[in-house]
Amino acid sequence: MESADGVARTLPSIGRLSRGPPFGRAHGRFGLSPSGRLLPPAPRSQENADPQKTAFLLRKQWTLYSVTPLYRFSNAHLRDYARLLSAFIAAEKQKGLAVEVGVELAIKVAVSSLPDLKGSDQDQAAILVQLSSRSPASPKNSEEKLIWSGWFCCVSGDDLSENVAEDFTCLPLFLANGAECYTSIVGSWFQKTFDCCFRRLAISPLNLSWMAAMWTGCKVDKTTSAMELVFSVPCLPQPLDISYAIHPEDAKALWDTVQKTPGEITQEEVDVFMDCLYSHFHRHFKIHLSATKLVKVSTAIASAHCDGIIKFLQSQYLTGVLMLLTELAISQIQ
Amino acid sequence: MDETVAEYIRRTVLKIPRDEIKTMLQKWGFLSETQLQTINFHQIKENISQDVVQLCEENSADIKQAAVLDIIYNHIYPNKRVWSVYQMNKTGEETEFFDLTDFKKKFKRRLRSALKNVTINFREYEDNAIWIRIAWGTPYTKPNQYKTSYVVYHSQTPYVFVSASVLKSNLPLLCQALVVASNYHDIREMELRSHSLNSLKDIVFKRYSQNFQTYCPRPLQERNVAPESADLRIIQENRHEKERIQRVNREVFGDGPQPQLEFAQYKLETMFKSDSKMDVLDKKEPFRCMVKFSSPHLLESLKSLAPAGMADAPLSPLLTCIPQKARNYFKIREKKSLFPGSFMKIIFKDHYRAWGRRDSWNIDVSKKFPSSFSGY
Repeated sequence: MESADGVARTLPSIGRLSRGPPFGRAHGRFGLSPSGRLLPPAPRSQENADPQKTAFLLRKQWTLYSVTPLYRFSNAHLRDYARLLSAFIAAEKQKGLAVEVGVELAIKVAVSSLPDLKGSDQDQAAILVQLSSRSPASPKNSEEKLIWSGWFCCVSGDDLSENVAEDFTCLPLFLANGAECYTSIVGSWFQKTFDCCFRRLAISPLNLSWMAAMWTGCKVDKTTSAMELVFSVPCLPQPLDISYAIHPEDAKALWDTVQKTPGEITQEEVDVFMDCLYSHFHRHFKIHLSATKLVKVSTAIASAHCDGIIKFLQSQYLTGVLMLLTELAISQIQ
Repeated sequence: MDETVAEYIRRTVLKIPRDEIKTMLQKWGFLSETQLQTINFHQIKENISQDVVQLCEENSADIKQAAVLDIIYNHIYPNKRVWSVYQMNKTGEETEFFDLTDFKKKFKRRLRSALKNVTINFREYEDNAIWIRIAWGTPYTKPNQYKTSYVVYHSQTPYVFVSASVLKSNLPLLCQALVVASNYHDIREMELRSHSLNSLKDIVFKRYSQNFQTYCPRPLQERNVAPESADLRIIQENRHEKERIQRVNREVFGDGPQPQLEFAQYKLETMFKSDSKMDVLDKKEPFRCMVKFSSPHLLESLKSLAPAGMADAPLSPLLTCIPQKARNYFKIREKKSLFPGSFMKIIFKDHYRAWGRRDSWNIDVSKKFPSSFSGY
């Protein structure tokens, strides 16, 4: 995509570079591809979340949703929300919308705040909802098993929070892990209580290729996993899947020669990077990968699937990835 | 009758689709026709299997008979397992007369000398295929009938198809026994694997329709032919290109149905060359990639890529050579040519490895690939 706006190279927030800024966002609002993004700074180990606290978020598969601003949500009432949600779940079970077949399990709800997961000070602290089951047979030695987690967050969502009225809380990104039935129960409670709207967040091939480029360039301590792109060609008489994995050192070396502007990535650089990979593939197999659908990207940092599924693999880059996802969520809402 | 045998027969019957149970039991021949008449084959499978076990109890079935039923099941449904192909080599050209009894004796003896606790069963089929079922135990435990390996050996050929499934540590022993029993010299695993046993046989025995260079005369361009559609505004663009693609595709893939494979894997260690204007990566080291194609029917899928506009015609020989080379695992390296700047030559590196140990791609940072390769 050629930069229709010639101002692609200089972004308004470039002045913030010295203060260790988050990703900048340029013209990404109306569903157009941003023509440039600021690079995340090197991982700020002390400033950012204590890796221990967020370790439980890693290596789990999270399904992504965008959430419109919540009306009259307050951080001070988290315990009340937990109570109300718990009652709601019990009521739903009574109604016969059985969530668990067979054994009657008591579901315990915990709602807590994750203050470290935010980008700027304007961001709302992330909210974590956890459902655990306790066998009613032995309430004393309660082995609570975590059966579902979901968390709302907003990382550098200034674009949205600036333009929203007082009573609204902006937590545009929602991530869920666990059975779909719980996701829909929790989702409908939030929708009813805070008058918001949940929508599955799909990731377009364009955004996936951005992720591939950005994450390839991130420095990782020990190179363990390959940079993998998965393509799908469904509309053939026999569907075909192509997995294209590149040694992470070689992928990074390629990206480093493509990415010229310090502290910034442009659409053109992402395009050149992807084109290089496509043409290397074409040279061998004579297949045009650009005609197929990019469905999944996997790097050492994280892996993302076009159906809106993400897996975080490195705690030091967690906020960086969340920033990008928040941006996608916001552009879906608007 | 042993309880484990009863349970094994029950579970084997449960695997069979209900409509096929009667035919398979008849093929088995262990239960008489009158006994089979007493079973209601329209009830649920649970009950059918119980009835079968009951009758087997009456006939005092032992593990040997149960094993035969398992072989019959796997012979009819081989695609439930993954099969690898092995090729045996002989020094000298003498084609010896194949003695089946001798083969079976030597195989059993060799296997049992190393591992006493094995169940071995043979069954021969009309197409000269010998099916061998091996249930593995350990030096201290009885054979586990659920941990089986299957071997299909066509005695007139040097090829063996093996479905090891579990206990890969027993593979070397199995290979040894095969070599000894069949009077060959050694055995190597081919880079070919699939669920479809018949397709593997097609590829290895060259039974698929190969792409011979046939002359396909182009139909004469007729003049004064009424247009296909009444509306003259509708024309077929790129008709010549489409026809060229079809023709080239046919030449490359042949006319007949393709053997059925589920995947092909390529480990690429070639140089990265850029043809874009930007000054990108110019390393002397290879650009290491691993490409894997998967599909329910890979070759048909690849064949349809060019007509769908997603690939050039002819498709790369790396893909079209799969049946001829009888492999679906490849390692591609660059050959240093004498003339610098000449086009890339792709060479295939054959992987001779003993006992079927598969190379896994370890990203070892300390390892560096050599910058010069030996030609092949």
